[in-house]
Amino acid sequence: MTAQEPEARRLPRARRRAPAHWLGLVLVGVIVAAGLVSFVWTPYALSDMAGGRLAPPSAAHWAGTDRLGRDVFTQLMIGARIALVVGCGAVAIGGAIGIAVGVLAAFATRFADDALAAVFDILIAFPTLLIAMLVVAAREEASLGTAILALGIGLSPIVGRVTRILTKRVLSKDYITAARVSGTGWPAIVLWHILPNIAPFLGVNLALQFGLAVMAEASLSYLGLGTPPPNASWGRMLQEAQGTVYTAPWGALLPGLALFSLVIGVNLLADALRDRFDPAGRDS
Amino acid sequence: MTFMALPLPTATRALAAALAASSALALSAAGALAQDHDPDAVINIGSLYEPQNLDNTAGAGQGINEAFNGNVYEGLFVLTDDGDVEPRLAEDYTISEDGLVYTFTLKDGVTFHSGDPLTADDVKSSIERVVAENSASSRKRTLAVIEAIEVLDDRTLTVTLKSPSISLPYNLSYVWIVNDTAGDISASEDGTGPYVLREWRRGSALALVPFEGYWGDAPDNGGVMFQYFTDATAQNNALLTGAVDIITSVQSPDALSQFADNPDFTVSEGASTTKEIMAYNDRIAPFDDPMVRSALARAVDNEKLLNAIWGDYGTLIGSFVPPTDPWYVDLTDVNAYDPESARQMLAEAGYEDGFSFTLDTPDYDPHPIVAQFVQNELANVGVDVKINIITANEWYTKIYKAQDFEATLQEHVNHRDIVFYGNPDFYWGYDNPEVTRLIAESENVASIAEQTEMLTEANRIIAEDAASMWLYLYPQIVVSTSNVTGYPLNGLNSQFFVSDIKKAD
Repeated sequence: MTAQEPEARRLPRARRRAPAHWLGLVLVGVIVAAGLVSFVWTPYALSDMAGGRLAPPSAAHWAGTDRLGRDVFTQLMIGARIALVVGCGAVAIGGAIGIAVGVLAAFATRFADDALAAVFDILIAFPTLLIAMLVVAAREEASLGTAILALGIGLSPIVGRVTRILTKRVLSKDYITAARVSGTGWPAIVLWHILPNIAPFLGVNLALQFGLAVMAEASLSYLGLGTPPPNASWGRMLQEAQGTVYTAPWGALLPGLALFSLVIGVNLLADALRDRFDPAGRDS
Repeated sequence: MTFMALPLPTATRALAAALAASSALALSAAGALAQDHDPDAVINIGSLYEPQNLDNTAGAGQGINEAFNGNVYEGLFVLTDDGDVEPRLAEDYTISEDGLVYTFTLKDGVTFHSGDPLTADDVKSSIERVVAENSASSRKRTLAVIEAIEVLDDRTLTVTLKSPSISLPYNLSYVWIVNDTAGDISASEDGTGPYVLREWRRGSALALVPFEGYWGDAPDNGGVMFQYFTDATAQNNALLTGAVDIITSVQSPDALSQFADNPDFTVSEGASTTKEIMAYNDRIAPFDDPMVRSALARAVDNEKLLNAIWGDYGTLIGSFVPPTDPWYVDLTDVNAYDPESARQMLAEAGYEDGFSFTLDTPDYDPHPIVAQFVQNELANVGVDVKINIITANEWYTKIYKAQDFEATLQEHVNHRDIVFYGNPDFYWGYDNPEVTRLIAESENVASIAEQTEMLTEANRIIAEDAASMWLYLYPQIVVSTSNVTGYPLNGLNSQFFVSDIKKAD
């Protein structure tokens, strides 16, 4: 109702929401940096138990220590690495399967298309975490690779459904008809016309799936089905700190905060991507 | 009453152990001092173990032993809180020369809550209830040695055995003597104990009031109310708000931070029988070599581990036997922490470059954190541990049943369970013929002194053989409001005798 409001509404959505997007970039940036640095340097070795039981945060241990006297900050850095590896790995696997099957469905005969769409819907009805738990249970031992594979498979129907719809939308465009008429084979159509056109929207979706994968990995590790110890997954840190929340709250708060920051950060970045590519949002 | 409280953060383990050892003295001293207690006060006890029903031969769970053993029902013998076996409803007993016939004389003047006098027929039917075909008693197997029970007169009966069993009085301590006319006791009771059941509200509480016609000393309180919780946090909050006076066991040191250093509460530590152990599969290389097992035992700093898990609570053990078993001796010096000699022994055993094994680790606390500690400690002597997290169910099928494992972590809760090392078919497959012989023959000896001597010897041998890695003994922690005294601390076989509990005005 104020004089400024119509003017504010005329601003592109992306610019109006820029601070949130920057926050997302900072959150993700810090965590990616921590994960990358952990490959070459951590304050302590993961197996170093000399810190004393449940020492509070101090100059020597920025995030305190756990029950075994291990540095929590070191574990947070390694946890960042694991979250990123799992997130990227699961999105890569889920994306590869989902995009391949989704495009295939869009190209297939009507019957096959309907069948695949139904399969996507059925699989989506199962929570990603449940599918992932089934895959882990089918393997002999829990490992990082198993967790990534399990989460990738769990995510693939979501990606597949989005890909199928996006592809069908592109397939009805005149330039596709033109390409077909001019004799272009379908592999070339997929490669040169479809993928580039669905990439922006798919990118937003994959970014959201990344956040989902990170959460799911933490849940798997919390249940003891994720990365086996001593690899410090945030989910396992939460589980181990659960019994000491009264006496040493930092042990549970910090991994929770890290998890929250990464998921929120990635969501904000996905938001930014959408604003950048969504034509509806660009000029309104 | 604060002399029973541990000033927690500063308490040394030695002090804790000394207090635990002298708990009986401390309690009787408390009794002498607390003259001004209220004899009519009702004691509210918080517990996590609600019984499924009221019959200990019908799968009622440990909660029924906590509420009823020694309180509502009594046995011929009682296992005291210090681990001694004393006659209760038995006045006297004799054992025949060959050890096969026990003759029991019953106490005179004992009546059931229904008013019937105690007779030898009641004892016979009570023992038969436990060994009956349809009995679900976990103790059934240990009484299978009984061949026949014969009633001589109202106050005398004989029990004839298939083979001598020196542990019979101990085993009879958990056989409730029930009136033989009582019928189904899954929702009512007819025992001889100092309390009668007033009310049982399923899902919430069980109320006991003193029995007017009790043959022994009358209780020091006006009744007890067991209040059941499904969640430890809710139980702790009930104590904080005064809804209960005592909680029978605290599961983590974290919860204690609410009660420690608070003069309104008394935190007491008793000796549990729960042992955290790393069991090797002693059948397979390299764990079939006692030298390797001893080396691994020396490589792990149990004291540091216990501190990590339990803070200032808990006890170190040098073997599988806790201090409340009669055959306990301090064996913590055998294979004490010494990484240097661990490396030498590994080299001597032919593993100078170390080796690698998989540690199957149950997925619940404290096992995963214990596994990581052991992993780090053994890495120091060149042994590589792979941690494989498994569920409790998998533990049962893969390890206990199929015995398909290299090493595993587990807590063993039972009292007097050294006998597992005398069974080569047990999951850990420890097979030392001398230990098997000692444990088997210790049951057939003529006196408890001989039994104790033989099992102490077996205890020494398993310690020297490092049959498993015994990491630590859990503490048994009881917290009460500071005006309540006289409760048992050790909780052996889940018992919780309530008749000496006093509440000050």
